[in-house]
Amino acid sequence: MKTNPPSGSESSIADLRHADEAELIDMLEKAEQKHGFIPREISDEIARLLEVKLERLRRIQGKLDTTIRRDVQQHVAHWRNEEGNLIMILHAIQNQHGYIPREVAMELSRELGVKLARIYEVITFYHYFKLQPPGAHNVTVCNGTACYLKGSGDLINELRTQLGIAEGQTTPDRQIHFETVRCIGCCGMAPAMVVDGKTCGHVKTSDVAGHLANLRAKKETAA
Amino acid sequence: MKTLTRQDLAALAAQPAAAPAEWIRVQLDTGGIAAGAETLFTALDHARLEHRLPFALQRTGSTGYAFADPVVEVQTVGLPRVHYGHMMPELAPQLIESHFTHRRLLDDHVIATRRRSLVLDAPVTHILVRDTGNGPGSKTEFFQFSFQEELKRRGLADRVQVVRAFDMGIYDEGAVVQLLPSAVTYTNVLAPDVARIITESIEAGKVLDDLLWKTSDKQVRIVLRHCGEVDPDSVDDYLRRAEGYQAFARALFELTPEQVIAEMKVSALRGRGGAGFPTWMKWQLTRAQPATQRYVICNGDEGDPGAFMDRSVLESDPHTVLEGMLIAAYAMGSSQGYFYIRAEYPRAVERIQRALDQAREIGLLGQNILGSTFSFDAKIRLGAGAFVCGEETALIASIEGKRGSPSPRPPYPSVRGLWGMPTAINNVETLAIVPAILLKGGAWYAGHGTETSKGTKVFAVTGKVRNAQLVEVPMGTTLRQIVFEVCGGVLDNKEIKAVQTGGPSGGVIPASLLDTPVSYETLQQLGSIMGSGGMLVMDKGDSMVEVAKFYLRFCVDESCGKCAPCRIGGYQLLQILDRISRGRGNAGDLAIIHRVCHAMQKASLCGLGQTAPNPVLSTLRYFGEEYQAFIEGGPSYARKVSGAAKAAKAPAPATTQEVSS
Ligand SMILES: Cc1cc2nc3c(=O)[nH]c(=O)nc-3n(C[C@H](O)[C@H](O)[C@H](O)COP(=O)(O)O)c2cc1C
Ligand code: SF4
Ligand code: FES
Repeated sequence: MKTNPPSGSESSIADLRHADEAELIDMLEKAEQKHGFIPREISDEIARLLEVKLERLRRIQGKLDTTIRRDVQQHVAHWRNEEGNLIMILHAIQNQHGYIPREVAMELSRELGVKLARIYEVITFYHYFKLQPPGAHNVTVCNGTACYLKGSGDLINELRTQLGIAEGQTTPDRQIHFETVRCIGCCGMAPAMVVDGKTCGHVKTSDVAGHLANLRAKKETAA
Repeated sequence: MKTLTRQDLAALAAQPAAAPAEWIRVQLDTGGIAAGAETLFTALDHARLEHRLPFALQRTGSTGYAFADPVVEVQTVGLPRVHYGHMMPELAPQLIESHFTHRRLLDDHVIATRRRSLVLDAPVTHILVRDTGNGPGSKTEFFQFSFQEELKRRGLADRVQVVRAFDMGIYDEGAVVQLLPSAVTYTNVLAPDVARIITESIEAGKVLDDLLWKTSDKQVRIVLRHCGEVDPDSVDDYLRRAEGYQAFARALFELTPEQVIAEMKVSALRGRGGAGFPTWMKWQLTRAQPATQRYVICNGDEGDPGAFMDRSVLESDPHTVLEGMLIAAYAMGSSQGYFYIRAEYPRAVERIQRALDQAREIGLLGQNILGSTFSFDAKIRLGAGAFVCGEETALIASIEGKRGSPSPRPPYPSVRGLWGMPTAINNVETLAIVPAILLKGGAWYAGHGTETSKGTKVFAVTGKVRNAQLVEVPMGTTLRQIVFEVCGGVLDNKEIKAVQTGGPSGGVIPASLLDTPVSYETLQQLGSIMGSGGMLVMDKGDSMVEVAKFYLRFCVDESCGKCAPCRIGGYQLLQILDRISRGRGNAGDLAIIHRVCHAMQKASLCGLGQTAPNPVLSTLRYFGEEYQAFIEGGPSYARKVSGAAKAAKAPAPATTQEVSS
C-alpha cells in the first residue's frame, strides 16, 4: 500500500506550477514547519519547478536578445547604403519603443561597428531622443513664444504642483509623463497642451485638474 | 500612375482641368487637425454619402487663418464662394443642409474675402454684416435685422440673404457691410444707411462712395499662393490646378542653368531663412565650384519657437517646395537633394515624403527626368530637436549623422559642404518662391517690395494679437499695417507695447516705431532682424525683462557648448537677468550685461551665440527703464510685477472663443 503523501501536498504541488520563486520558497518553509523536515517529493518537485522557471527565463531573455537583434538588423538594413544613417536609425528605434533602450543602443553599436560612446554622444546631443521609457500617459505643455506669452508658465506650474514632478519626469507610479515642447504648430489656440496625443487649445490652469482626472480614470479602466 | 512626359506637361499647361461645380475644401494642417478638422472631414463625408450629394470633398492645407481653425471653403452653385471659420465637427450637418438644401450661407462663420472690389459688377445676392466696433454690445444682429426688414418691405427678401459674418478682415470701422458676389465693402455704416444701401446699391446697382472702403488688402500671396487651394497629398491636383511643375519644365527645356540663375538675379530674391543672402549668388557660388557632386538642401528646421510659416508651407504645398528644389538643382548641377525637417513636424514630413514618392513615380525624380539629361533625387533627413541645427554647418553635420555642432566658416557650404561637396542650403519659403519667379519672371517678382528688399515675406503673427495668423505682405509694409490692418490689432483692445521679430535671434520694436516699413535693413537698424518670420505682439501687461529672459533661456538651453563666449556668456547673462527680474540686481549689472553681450556678438563661433544677445540688447535699448525699475524697486517691486502679469494673463484665454458661440 502506498503511503499517503503528507496531507495537502497533492493540491499544493499542482498549485506550485503557477507560483513564483518567493512563493515556492515560502512553501518549503511551510512544509518544514509542518513536518519538521522537508518531504522528499516536495523538495524534488519544487526544485524541478524552479529549474523550469529558470529555463523559461533564459529562453525569454534569449528571445528578447534575438528580437532586439532582428529589429536592429532590420533598421540598419533599411538604411544600410545611406551615409550618415545613425540619426535616422535612432529615429526608427525611438518610433518603435518610445525611447532608446540601452540594450538596443548596445546592439546597434555592434551592428554598425560604431563605438557605444559615439552613439550616446549623438543621442544626448539631440533633445528629441529619450533615454527613459515614456509614461503610460503623456502630458505635454507647449512653451513656444505664443503660448508663453499667453500663460503656459502658469500651466507648467500647475502641472508641477498637481503631479509633484518637474517637466521631463514621470510620476513615481510610471503613469504620467510630463514634458514641455516648443511650438506644436497651434499658436492660434495658445496656450496649447497635448494630452495623450490630443491637442487642447486655450487651456486654463483650472482645466488642468480635469485633464489629469480623465487620465487617471483611463488608467483605472485599463487596469 | 504613368510616367509624365514633356508633352503631358505642355497639354496640362494649355488646358487646365475643369473644376467640379460644387466642392467643400477642408483645411487639414496641424493647427486645423488639432482643432478638429479631421473629424469634420469625416462628418462631412458621412453627410455627403447619406444625402447622396454630388459635391467634391477635398483635403487642402491652410490658408493661414490660424485664429479660425478649423477652416473650410465652400463652393455651391448659386452661392458665393466662402471661407468658414470655427467650423466645429458638430456643425457638419448644418453646413450641408444650409448649402445643399436651403442654398443659404451659414450665419456667424463666414470669413469675408480679402479681395474687395470698388465696382458693383454683379447684382447683389448676399449681404455680409458685422459690427467691428469696440463699443459695448455688438450691433451685428441689429444690422442683420434692419437689412432683413427693409428687404422684406421692398419684396427683396427672397433675392438677397443677409448673413452675420465671423470676420471681415477690417477692424474698428463700425458696422461693416460687404455686398456679394462683387465684394464691394462699406464701413462705418449707420442705421439710416441701411435703406440707402438697399435703394442705391441693391436696387440701382450703384456704389455709395461715402461708405466705400477703398483701402485694398495689404496681403499679396506668392509663397502662399496654393496654400488652402490644392490637395497637398496629390501630385495630380498640383499638376492640374496649380500649374504644377510648369516652371521646372520651362527651366529644363527653355533655359540654360546660367539663364535660370540670371532670372533669379533679376528677381533679387534674398534668402528667407534669416540672413537674407541673395539666392542667385548662393547658387552661382555653388555652381562655380568644381566638383563631382553638389548638394541642395531645403532647411525645414524652423527653430523659432512660435513661428509656423515653413511648417504651413511644407504641409499645405509640398510639391511647390520640391519644384523649387528641382529648379535649384538644375541651376547648380546637383543630382541629390535633402529635406531637413524637424521630427516635431510629423505631418510636414509625411506630406513631403508622399510628394517625393509621387514625383518619383511619375518620373519627376530619378534618371533623365522628362527625357532630358538631368537626373535628380531627394530624400528626407529628420531634425531631432536642436535649434542650432538650423545653422548651416550644424545642419550639415546633422545630416552626416553627427552631433549638430557648427564649424567655423569659411569654408562656406557652397565651397565645402555636405560630405565635403559644394552645397546650397535654402529655406523652405525661398524654395517655394522659385517656381513663381520662373513662371512669371524675375522682373515681376522684383516689382514687389522695396529697393533693397524685393518681393513678399510671410510672417507668423502670434502673441497678444486679435487674429493669430499667417500673413504674406510685400516688403515695405509697416509693422502697424501688419498688426492692426491685417491681424486686427491687440487682443482685448489692450494697448500695444512692442513687436518682437526674428525669434530668439531677433529683437523687440517698440510701439513708437511701428510705422517702420519691414525690410532686412530697417529691422536691422532697429536692433532686430527679419529672421525667418516670427512676429510676436506684446501688450502693456508684458514685462520686457521677462521676455528677454525667455528668449535668452531658450538660447542657453540650445547652445551646443562648443565655444566659450556663447556657453559661458549666455549662462552668465541669464544669471544676471534672473537676478534683476527677482529684484536683486544692482546698479553695475547693466554695464556688465553690455560687456557680456558685446563679447558674445564678437567672439561666438556661430549665429546662435552671435545673435543670442539681441533680445536682451534691444529690450535694454527701448525699455531700459523697466530694467531700472527692477533694480531700483527691489524684491517687492518684482513680486508686484509678476503678480500683476499673472492676473492679466488669467482671463485672456477665454475671450478668443466667444466669437463662435
Ligand atoms: C542658430 C541658427 C538657427 C537657424 N535656424 C534656421 C531655421 O530654422 N530655418 C532656416 O531656414 N534657416 C535657419 N537659419 C539660417 C540658416 O543658417 C541659413 O542661413 C538659411 O537656411 C539659408 O537659407 P536662405 O538663404 O534661403 O535663407 C539659422 C541660423 C542660425 C545661426
Ligand atoms: S555660438 Fe553657441 S551654438 Fe554656436 S558654436 Fe558656439 S557654443 Fe555652439
Ligand atoms: S507656441 Fe505654442 S503652439 Fe506655437
